[in-house]
Amino acid sequence: MQENVRLPTPQIGANGKSAGLSFVGLIVHNLGTRRVRTALTALAVAIAVMAVVTLGVLTDSLKSSAAEVLSAGNADFTVAQKSVSDLLNSVVTDTQVAKIASTPGVASAVGVLVATIKLDPAHPLFLEIGITPESLSPFGVHVVAGRAYDATAPDEVMLGWQAADEFGKKVGSSIVMDGNRLRVVGIYSTGQVFADSASMMPLAILQARERKPATVTLTVVRVTKGASIEGVRRAIEQANPNLATVRSATEYGRVDRNLQFLGAAQTGARIIALVIGVIIVMNTMLLSFVERIREFGVLRAIGWSRSRLLGLVLGEAVGISFLGAGLGVGFAFVLTWGLQRFSPLRGILQAQFTAEEFWTALYAAIFIGVLAALYPSARAAMLRPGASLRRE
Amino acid sequence: MTHATNASIEQGEPQIALGMNAEAPASTPVLEAVNVDVVYGEFYALVAANLSVAPGEWVAVTGPSGSGKSTLLQLFAAVDQPTSGSVRFQGVDLANRRHLDRYRRIEVGHVFQLHNLLPHLDAKRNIEIAMFGTHRGRQARSDHATELLSLFELTAQAGHKPPEMSGGERQRVAIARALANNPAVILADEPTGSLDPEGAAKIITVFDRLHRTEGTTIVMVTHDSEIASAADRVIQLEGGRIT
Repeated sequence: MQENVRLPTPQIGANGKSAGLSFVGLIVHNLGTRRVRTALTALAVAIAVMAVVTLGVLTDSLKSSAAEVLSAGNADFTVAQKSVSDLLNSVVTDTQVAKIASTPGVASAVGVLVATIKLDPAHPLFLEIGITPESLSPFGVHVVAGRAYDATAPDEVMLGWQAADEFGKKVGSSIVMDGNRLRVVGIYSTGQVFADSASMMPLAILQARERKPATVTLTVVRVTKGASIEGVRRAIEQANPNLATVRSATEYGRVDRNLQFLGAAQTGARIIALVIGVIIVMNTMLLSFVERIREFGVLRAIGWSRSRLLGLVLGEAVGISFLGAGLGVGFAFVLTWGLQRFSPLRGILQAQFTAEEFWTALYAAIFIGVLAALYPSARAAMLRPGASLRRE
Repeated sequence: MTHATNASIEQGEPQIALGMNAEAPASTPVLEAVNVDVVYGEFYALVAANLSVAPGEWVAVTGPSGSGKSTLLQLFAAVDQPTSGSVRFQGVDLANRRHLDRYRRIEVGHVFQLHNLLPHLDAKRNIEIAMFGTHRGRQARSDHATELLSLFELTAQAGHKPPEMSGGERQRVAIARALANNPAVILADEPTGSLDPEGAAKIITVFDRLHRTEGTTIVMVTHDSEIASAADRVIQLEGGRIT
């Protein structure tokens, strides 16, 4: 000990670090010191985040896959039966299609019948679109190879270019669909992934096969130049109370209650995942709090304020949350990737990770971390230093 | 004043600022315990204790184990509250003081009986965290911690964590931490308890220098009568009563 006390020149410490410890640095240090606990807590956050993100990605993917039916046609909007359980169960009669076509402001109204078949185990929901040959062009279909089918040919089919590519079919090939051997007479393109991965055939043939005479699933409508799309929509809905018009994927729920249920189920599942995450993380943080009572007592005894201690514990929770968010997104990506390759979902699930999902992950992680840390941090802040220091 | 240490003390102006933040009027005791009882369940740790410590005074509190020495010190450090009676700093009852954390941080420097260093932080950082919430910025905290480590000949141990240090080194780090904010009062609970005679003498030398040259008030708990004799006044506690 220096008895001849002289102020030493500030120097680099023996640990080789000249910079002092910041509050954030202390938080990071504390997390790094308790690596296993930090990792396990971040893992708990990550699992909850994974559930939240995966549910979001899956639901959005299913919604957009389903809603692509609406965008398959080159239309201003689509008309379908209101509030059916599934859009494919929508029934629009020929009479209604004619009525829609005669509505002022409507340039064209094309009725299409949509059905699904199990083509093979890898394609459990292959789409068949029944449409008259003369409606192909108004529907936005371009025949890129071969020709269009005849209006009454029972064994002719056109494949979207992506479907043809995937199955290795070309004009002249045959394909077995629902037990019927059909001849591929043309390859088409619509510019829509959903339609280009499907097949098209004569409307009358598909109506007969599906036992849905004189009905279609939906009607795609184009309005005349200069007409108000919203005005035409209102007119059609007023004239046909059991029909609903849909202009975007977000309006899809108006005609498909399954989608509404899916959204509600997603919200419920996300809430459950968050609650479970909060409970698990709070349990871990409470254990950590009990282990650190003496440490908190020392900090209070050397003059740390309640708010600083609160900030320390909450700061550590936020740090863990960031770790958990990163891990959770990674887990969600891997899980979704696996689910896309899971046979029953192949072809249906086309997961897309958007920036929104990353924000969702971050919000969810911080929500879990902070909510779970509130009680332990409040208890830490309220500790009496004397009692904490007496604790063994 | 009686000095028990044989260590030499450098006379003259100090080179490092270790002094009082605030001075009480000479007539006002810096610390007071007035009719203080502390009861844990049915155990009376302190009974009607009255003690007044003048500014700049060095008081040693001695007594057998369980006599209430540490309890008295913890009351002065505001880490515990009396069951009855009052504890005052510069005439103000600590129970009425709004910011006790500021009192603990600035006005008093607490040297704990068991060091109470955070085991996951190195020596320098253990000192730095005592300066959080003061006017010092990050670099200033670092510089001051380095100065204190140098003062206690712990520069080589700056990056060592408490489990990697000897008992004496830990105790010196604990004292350095207590001095970090230049407190008016040092409250030291067995500051030489884990030290060999030479190490104990060095600690007492530092206290003596602070007391004599900086006017720092010191309340020191010890069971060592030789160490106690370094103080201006020795208080004896027995069975929770000041005798």
